[in-house]
Amino acid sequence: MGYKKIKKDQLKTLFNELSKDCSLFVPSGSKGYVGFDPWDGNSADFTEWYRNTTIPPKALFFPPVEAMLRFRKGEAGYEIEELLPNGRPQIVFGVRPCDARALKITDTLFSDTYRDPYYLTRRENATIVGLACNEPCDTCFCTSLDISPGESQDVDLLCSDIGDELLMEAVSDKGEDLLSKMSGLSEASGEEESKAKQLGDSAKEKITRQIDTSGLLDKMRSSFENREYWEDVSRKCMSCGICTYVCPTCHCFDICDENNKKDGKRVRNWDSCKFPLFTRMPMENPRHEKWRRIRQRYHHKFEYFQMNFETIACTGCGRCIRECPVNVDVTEIIGGIQAL
Amino acid sequence: MENRLKEEAGKLLKEGKVDYIVGYGKGTVNLRTSPLITNKEEDLEGLVINPFIANNLSRYPVELKGRVGIVVKGCDSRSLTSLMQDKKVKREDLIIFGVPCEGVVDLKKLAGQIGAEIDRVTDAEKEGENLTLQVDGSKKTIPFRDVIFDKCYGCEHPTPLEYDMLLGSEVAPNLDIEKSLERIKELEGMDAQERWNYWKEQFSKCIRCYGCRNVCPACFCERCFVDVNMPQWVATYATWQDNLTFQLIRTLHVAGRCSDCGECERACPVGIPLRSLQRKMVEEVKDLFGHEVGIDKDAPPVFSHYEATDPDEFMK
Repeated sequence: MGYKKIKKDQLKTLFNELSKDCSLFVPSGSKGYVGFDPWDGNSADFTEWYRNTTIPPKALFFPPVEAMLRFRKGEAGYEIEELLPNGRPQIVFGVRPCDARALKITDTLFSDTYRDPYYLTRRENATIVGLACNEPCDTCFCTSLDISPGESQDVDLLCSDIGDELLMEAVSDKGEDLLSKMSGLSEASGEEESKAKQLGDSAKEKITRQIDTSGLLDKMRSSFENREYWEDVSRKCMSCGICTYVCPTCHCFDICDENNKKDGKRVRNWDSCKFPLFTRMPMENPRHEKWRRIRQRYHHKFEYFQMNFETIACTGCGRCIRECPVNVDVTEIIGGIQAL
Repeated sequence: MENRLKEEAGKLLKEGKVDYIVGYGKGTVNLRTSPLITNKEEDLEGLVINPFIANNLSRYPVELKGRVGIVVKGCDSRSLTSLMQDKKVKREDLIIFGVPCEGVVDLKKLAGQIGAEIDRVTDAEKEGENLTLQVDGSKKTIPFRDVIFDKCYGCEHPTPLEYDMLLGSEVAPNLDIEKSLERIKELEGMDAQERWNYWKEQFSKCIRCYGCRNVCPACFCERCFVDVNMPQWVATYATWQDNLTFQLIRTLHVAGRCSDCGECERACPVGIPLRSLQRKMVEEVKDLFGHEVGIDKDAPPVFSHYEATDPDEFMK
């Protein structure tokens, strides 16, 4: 199937149509930060200002808080009602290539030995419409992790912004299906295809920040006992959870029971290895000092996850660099390990 | 200023008068600075002082073991003094470098002013009353006062009150209280229902990353009440009600300690206007107890002692 295109001023009509049968999420800045919000029928002008969201799309599949089950004390014991997502189809429009890769990464985790029905139900019912980056941020370093700002095999459908129009290309069957249902599209010319490619190439060139992943696994291992290094790089960290919560691949959670005498619910919520109380409930946080917690975060991403799932759990989206109040920079930390 | 700091900080480390220097270094992102905390002389070359030194560093000496040489602006110095009052740091363990401050650039405001994101700005320098920028390769000049944090318009002590060495000459307050309180006045202008809805909406965004709490020098509890689970005071997960409860209790806990440094609001990744709450509390504490934060290091913390003249209308 070839490339299609749609005029940007037709996006609103398209979104109104798509949102009839499913939940449609688009980038929005209406709340004072950029996130994926349900389409509200108002403005589809995000293509003019949107670079990436603050809260990654993982929040749509692995929400900050979700009730897993409800329980009630009945006469014959506890009655349990599982609260699985309703399975309504959803479309997420405007996912950047780094975040699309991040979803693939969290997919491997949530569908491993234990298949997580909450995450997977939402994922299986979702179609990811990617949007190639023309203007990466100065904090982006996706190219170091085999991701290209202008292309993606991790989405169902990929859009490229070529000016007044979005070029669309189906990547998966789901994407093809969605494309065939869209109205208001026209065929794109070969010239427009090459324009999209050029924009992608120039976006790639704009990315200057990088990490060197060659031999990193061994370097990570040998850095583990280097207490001085970890103490040095963690000194300024404030131990908040911002980097983990804005990270598209961080996936740690806590589970707690809210008990009101006879009934209650089991809730899971995001948790962060940066918190001193992390894992306190099941046993004890073995990482009492801050530097051990910082070390854990980078080792998890660049060593353990790679050992378990053969991929680094970082996509170079740069959110942790942008949002950190004290400018802890992952590229600096990995660079430092490579230089040890 | 920078050179003098490097020189003096170097002496302190060399002579073993301090174990660490806590100052600002160049950030890894355009315009941003980053805390520079080191015990190595060779790192001191990276120290900077410029209108982008946003962080309040006064929290670090509480955590670091040993004696510390620290760089503070006006608001930071008052946080540090407040920490002395609460006996979290000892004055004799500190060598304080005071930076007279004409205001710190709010990067979000700056982005709004130039109509471009901050990473388009490759260079920025304060020249007199203006900030001269290189945006996408071309020069742009904007009035400096238009892009500083709201808190800076209300700063009565831009020159640190407590220091061992002042880097540069004293800066007189350049107040525009109204501008500093604009957001608060807006909130006060709402009726109760409207205001309730406003905060409900704001706290629905909170993801409980605890950025606000963790950057706050007045939040020094070893175990925050939200992390206590027997009994559980608020849910560990984010609901707007518990997020609001968390923040209101935090606001009360830091009352009389908050120097209006604005770090809570700057840290918040989802843009909750937290400073409105904190600054309002600064006003309340001033009205009720005539207490201004961080003025006198020997005075007891306002909420840890009682004066017969303290207002007690709430009991009547």
